[in-house]
Amino acid sequence: MLAIRDLSKTYANGVKALRGVSLDIPNGMFGLLGPNGAGKSSLMRTIATLQDPDQGSIKLDTMDLLADKRATRRLLGYLPQEFGVYPKVSAEAMLDHFAVLKGVTAKKERRELVAALLRQVNLWDARKRKLGTYSGGMRQRFGIAQALIGDPRLVIVDEPTAGLDPEERNRFLNLLAEIGERVVVILSTHIVEDVTDLCQRMAIIGQGEVLLSGEPLEAIRSLDGRVWRRTIDKHELDGYRARMTILSTRLMAGRTQIHVLADSLPEPGFEAVAPDLEDVYFGRLRAQATAKAA
Amino acid sequence: MFLEIFRFELRQQLRAPLFWIAVALFGSVAFSLSSTDAVIAGGASGNVLRNAPMVIARMLTIFGFAGIILLPVFICGAALRDFEQRTAELYFTTPVTRGAYLGGRFAAGYLVVVLIALAWALGIALGGSMPWIDPARIGPSGTQGYLWGLAVIVLPDMLILSALLFLLATVTRSLLAAYIGVIVFVVLALVSRSLISDVNHLTIAAILDPFGTRTVSVTVRYWAADQLNHQLPAVTGLLLFNRLLWGSIALVLLGAAFALFRVNREGLQLPQRKSRRADPPQLRPVADTASALPKAELSDSLAAHLAQLRALIVFDTNAVLRGVPFLIMLGLALVNLLTVLSLSGQIYGTAVYPVSHWTLEAVRGGFQWVLFIVIAFYAGELVWRDRSVGSAAVSDAFPVPDWVPLIAKLCSLVAVIVVFLLVGAAVGIGWQLAHGYTHIEPGLYAASLAIDVVPFVLLAIMALFLQVLSNNKFLGYLLTIVWLVVSLIAFGLLHWENNLYNYGSAPNAPYSDMAGFAHFLKATLWFDFYWACAAAALLVVASLFWVRGTGGSWRERLREARARLRVPAQIALTVSLLAFVASGAWIYYNTSVLNTYRSSEQQKQDSAEYEKRYAKYKDLPQPRITAVKADVDIYPYGERKLDMRVHYTLVNKHAEPISELHVNFAEGFTVKSLDFAPHDTVSEDKQLGYTIYKLKTPLAPGASMNFDFALEYAPKGFRNEAGGDTFLVDNGTFFNSGVLPHFGYQSGEQITDRNDRRKYGLSAEVPRMPKLGDEKARANTYISNDADWISFDTTVSTVDDQIAMAPGYLQKAWTANGRHYFHYTMDQPMLNFFSYLSARYVVRHATGPNGVAIEVYYNPAHAWNVDRMIQSAQDSLAYYDAHYTPYQFRQLRILEFPDYASFAQAFANTIPFSESIGFIADLRDKSKIDYVYYVTAHETAHQWWAHRVIGANMQGSTMLSESLAQYSALMVMKQKYGAEQMRKFLKYELDNYLNGRATEDVQEEPLAKVENQQYIHYRKGSVVFYALQDYIGENLFDSILKQFLLDKGFQQPPYTTSQEFMDYLVKGTDPKWKGLLDDLFWKITLFDNRVVDASAKKLADGKYEVTMKVHTGKVWVDGTGKETEANTDIPLDIGVFTASPGAGLDGKPLYLEKRVLPKGDSTITVTVDGKPAEAGIDPYNKLIDRVSSDNRHAVTLQ
Repeated sequence: MLAIRDLSKTYANGVKALRGVSLDIPNGMFGLLGPNGAGKSSLMRTIATLQDPDQGSIKLDTMDLLADKRATRRLLGYLPQEFGVYPKVSAEAMLDHFAVLKGVTAKKERRELVAALLRQVNLWDARKRKLGTYSGGMRQRFGIAQALIGDPRLVIVDEPTAGLDPEERNRFLNLLAEIGERVVVILSTHIVEDVTDLCQRMAIIGQGEVLLSGEPLEAIRSLDGRVWRRTIDKHELDGYRARMTILSTRLMAGRTQIHVLADSLPEPGFEAVAPDLEDVYFGRLRAQATAKAA
Repeated sequence: MFLEIFRFELRQQLRAPLFWIAVALFGSVAFSLSSTDAVIAGGASGNVLRNAPMVIARMLTIFGFAGIILLPVFICGAALRDFEQRTAELYFTTPVTRGAYLGGRFAAGYLVVVLIALAWALGIALGGSMPWIDPARIGPSGTQGYLWGLAVIVLPDMLILSALLFLLATVTRSLLAAYIGVIVFVVLALVSRSLISDVNHLTIAAILDPFGTRTVSVTVRYWAADQLNHQLPAVTGLLLFNRLLWGSIALVLLGAAFALFRVNREGLQLPQRKSRRADPPQLRPVADTASALPKAELSDSLAAHLAQLRALIVFDTNAVLRGVPFLIMLGLALVNLLTVLSLSGQIYGTAVYPVSHWTLEAVRGGFQWVLFIVIAFYAGELVWRDRSVGSAAVSDAFPVPDWVPLIAKLCSLVAVIVVFLLVGAAVGIGWQLAHGYTHIEPGLYAASLAIDVVPFVLLAIMALFLQVLSNNKFLGYLLTIVWLVVSLIAFGLLHWENNLYNYGSAPNAPYSDMAGFAHFLKATLWFDFYWACAAAALLVVASLFWVRGTGGSWRERLREARARLRVPAQIALTVSLLAFVASGAWIYYNTSVLNTYRSSEQQKQDSAEYEKRYAKYKDLPQPRITAVKADVDIYPYGERKLDMRVHYTLVNKHAEPISELHVNFAEGFTVKSLDFAPHDTVSEDKQLGYTIYKLKTPLAPGASMNFDFALEYAPKGFRNEAGGDTFLVDNGTFFNSGVLPHFGYQSGEQITDRNDRRKYGLSAEVPRMPKLGDEKARANTYISNDADWISFDTTVSTVDDQIAMAPGYLQKAWTANGRHYFHYTMDQPMLNFFSYLSARYVVRHATGPNGVAIEVYYNPAHAWNVDRMIQSAQDSLAYYDAHYTPYQFRQLRILEFPDYASFAQAFANTIPFSESIGFIADLRDKSKIDYVYYVTAHETAHQWWAHRVIGANMQGSTMLSESLAQYSALMVMKQKYGAEQMRKFLKYELDNYLNGRATEDVQEEPLAKVENQQYIHYRKGSVVFYALQDYIGENLFDSILKQFLLDKGFQQPPYTTSQEFMDYLVKGTDPKWKGLLDDLFWKITLFDNRVVDASAKKLADGKYEVTMKVHTGKVWVDGTGKETEANTDIPLDIGVFTASPGAGLDGKPLYLEKRVLPKGDSTITVTVDGKPAEAGIDPYNKLIDRVSSDNRHAVTLQ
């Protein structure tokens, strides 16, 4: 269990990235959902020992992660949000290099591990090609391969599917799902489907604060029977906004479709729909925005 | 973990093509430096072997300077790799330690640099072993020099620089900051270099030099050729201190890099101002966005392009000028400039008034190298700016024509250059005002800066061109640096001096306060235009190859370039190329057809040819000139011309008849008419100017004949360099009798350097001067071989607002046809060595002893020191009249001439004095040496030593003129300042003698056999004669000199020699001085006198007892530098002094006695009346000592 208590961070230019974040993250897939600038990456980097918080603690079972960074790094696998590669080095050579740095110093063991990882992420056929020639999806897969070196107990994956085409995304999520159950995997993303598809537990972060924490299904169930949908014209939108709580708007074949939160049918013309995680997500964010405005 | 990072980083570095390019480049440059005879890098000249350990070590250290440019690429590449490739976070989340990570990266980067240094060393070794190298210049091979050079200089230097760069790179995460680190070091090195020229700051310069090269120079500065060939400096003392100091600094820097390294994204941060928006923006519902955008028109006309150009220029220039690196580089350039201003122009340690042209030269000199680096650096930065930040992907797709960004970046570079030069000019003007000099001449500033800007702009264009073509920032830098090295250094070393094939070069237009730019600007401007056309063509090509988007392979770029070559580009390219070729042809016509261009290589070949063809006529009897009557017309501007109609009276002073006349005609002077006894022309060598005539009737012994000729000098067009044509200018014409025909083989033009002689196929024997004792050589003086004493009469005309001068008394001056005429006659015979001058002079008159008319003709703007010169002339004449013989003339005239040359010269009663050697000296600081007074005294003394007594053409004769003149001047100084203040002068002469020894081309000689070697007859000579009069007594020496002057003055051949002079000395002095005379005159003697320690204690009666621990020694040195120990049997001055009463002054002697001291260490005790501050042996530096500054020591009171 990863226990995060009261984590806060303010950057030198005054931005308050994290405000007293507290979370309990057990083994398995944990989704961290939030818009850009919410503080997800700051949180990820802090757990990954790349950044020091101003206050707060992070404990993995009994081990204090912030105290001994090197020890932490030995059981960590981190796939950053933006990372580069050495363009002229082959995937195999790079992975081998990282394996040594992570501590797999025995040569034979390392060779086997690297081969296994490459096969697992389906890069075995491309292992001798230079990293500079890889497509975006292949790079992400390489990234997860290096994160999985050495059986990490804590895997942090920061916005991994942004920029991948649907098939690549699918492949990647399948990879993540295979990761064992004795491992804490934190997947941070702003793509709601990723969490719906993959995670048993989640938290929603907005403006540095935890807005919701718990199981996705439970959160969705809490909105049962309270979500209504209607297709309208664009110019009507302002009118509806004034009258009721709009959860989300989207375009459907060129026309505007709104989801509304109400305990009962708000108006004729609306139909009830089963809530999904997006409704929960947008709802929470809007609630926070309204609270801040007040 | 460290090993893994090290191994991986090393692989990255070794894989990069840049590494192999650098290895190839540096290896081949090293190879070419050491394998051609044309290059004398490392000081391998004269007797120093090409592979002497010191020479090898020096050539290795050249890498240190070239390597400065190299290091950022590899070291910062290592440090910043993960930040640039954005793999940092992948690394920092592994358990790798900070030490392993930084250490591994640094070690690999450093190793790579070491490998390139080894490539350099290998290149030198290979080059030196090539079979075509002159074997006489190679000594036994060995690895000493390489090992020493690498271990003591190169590797530590690279370590220091690498540590600094690594620290800057890891802390700032910016390549820019690291480049600034490089600039800092370059400037530090330059400043240290300037400091060394002043003898008093050597120790500081040696310690401050991070490269250790200055330290080594200081350590070996008095080493002669023999030592340089076999020894290497021991790593002790100053050198050890310097290496340890900078080595420790390197370790501290590395430690700092370790301590300040940060893993997190922001790196090391300075606290910033809080941004106004602390919270992320609120979410806005989606359909609130405005629906319609206002309409705007896009235009694509030329006016639009110009507007875009202007916008880009402003944008780029702003970014450059506001950037911190620019300000830092400017600051460093200013530091360098201030150093140059305070140290340059000094003669005898005394500065000059900051006249504007001198200040401008300092600005140019102080800024030049920094500006080159700035241009190279910013060319890359500007071209790559958009791609570095990633905005190129966007802006490359805009419809801006290709030439717009290129020209914009060029204009930004020009803006940088202009700002630099303007700031430099401002500082220069500030400097002038701060020194109380108010004649600023803004017009000159404007003109000079406008001319100076051009080569920098041309370089900027070349740098941009290379960056665009190479499409790789580091490769672009490398190519630019290679270009700079080739054009600035390599061309010079190889003696490729024709400006037509060195891009961006133009002849220097020398400026003189008297003549202004004269006629020299024309050549400069034409060459500037020529290269500007080439630069325009380069710009057009660059715009064709300007990269939009990803660039691609060469084939793709060529295709794109061809596609871009549409009509406007075609026209531009054709026009510029045509203009280039046309102006090139015009320049060629001017420099090589209307004038002759001969490189220094060709000139040496000419000298060799002259010797090969005509040396056989060396002893052929030729007539002597006994009278010269000349009509000279000077046209200094407009159509510049010299017209001369001259009559020689020739006499056959030989015992046999003369049937052939061998005449040397000066280059550039056309013979309009030639009239003498009936003759046939046997051979006419127009190229070397040697013509042989056969007289139909041989000239009988004792008979005389007339020889009349008319010469014209009418230069047309312009030349490849200003030299050779500076004697006829707007204001300040100055030429001498060397331009008139002379008879017989002239040996003065012979090549004396042993290695050059071998190279051009001449006999290795170096006939610098006939040996002492060669009786045949006494037939001539060393001044001329075709005349003894002549009678002289001349009428010279010039433009009506100038005064023309020649030796002689003015008989009449008149104006006719708008020209000014002067008739001069000498009333007694003089040497056949005279000069003509013409300028807009102002005259100041004074009277000397016995009614001698003293006149100074000078440029009205340079009036500061005229009275000083007059004073010196009066004092000198009085002294020499009293101590020697009466002055033989009734006038003494000092004339100013432009500072194209920097000397003063004595003709009969006429002393031309360069602008820069006395007229602009700043003598307001009384503690500095008044060299105006000194030099005037020296030139006045020549009226005795040279124009009265002149030595034969053999070794030792210049001792009779130059050494005695310098000695006489010293005695005048002694009279003015007092014997107690003479150390300043003697130490200066001594130090310059010692420095001069190391530059000896052939072989050093003892004073009595000196072969016109300046460092001996001026510097050593003055000290030796001063010492002599100190030992034997001034009055006794005076009487010997007086007798010598009376006996030998105005003699006919056979001329006197130094041997005869020494005979006079021996006859006139006590036999006990025989050893001293030998040591001073017949041997090269070096004393080694020093005070190791000095202390004093006060006695009961108020006196002080001073105890000195001293060391004495004496060695005799042979011509090649080998030393033999000798006994210290000459008595030395022992002195104890009071404290110095002020700057530049010595304390009063409390005790001064001569004693013979035992060789080696000993202790002396002396009692004195007053409080002692300093004690010394030979404290006034009267004896030639290996190190002059250790003769005195401060006294510690107990």
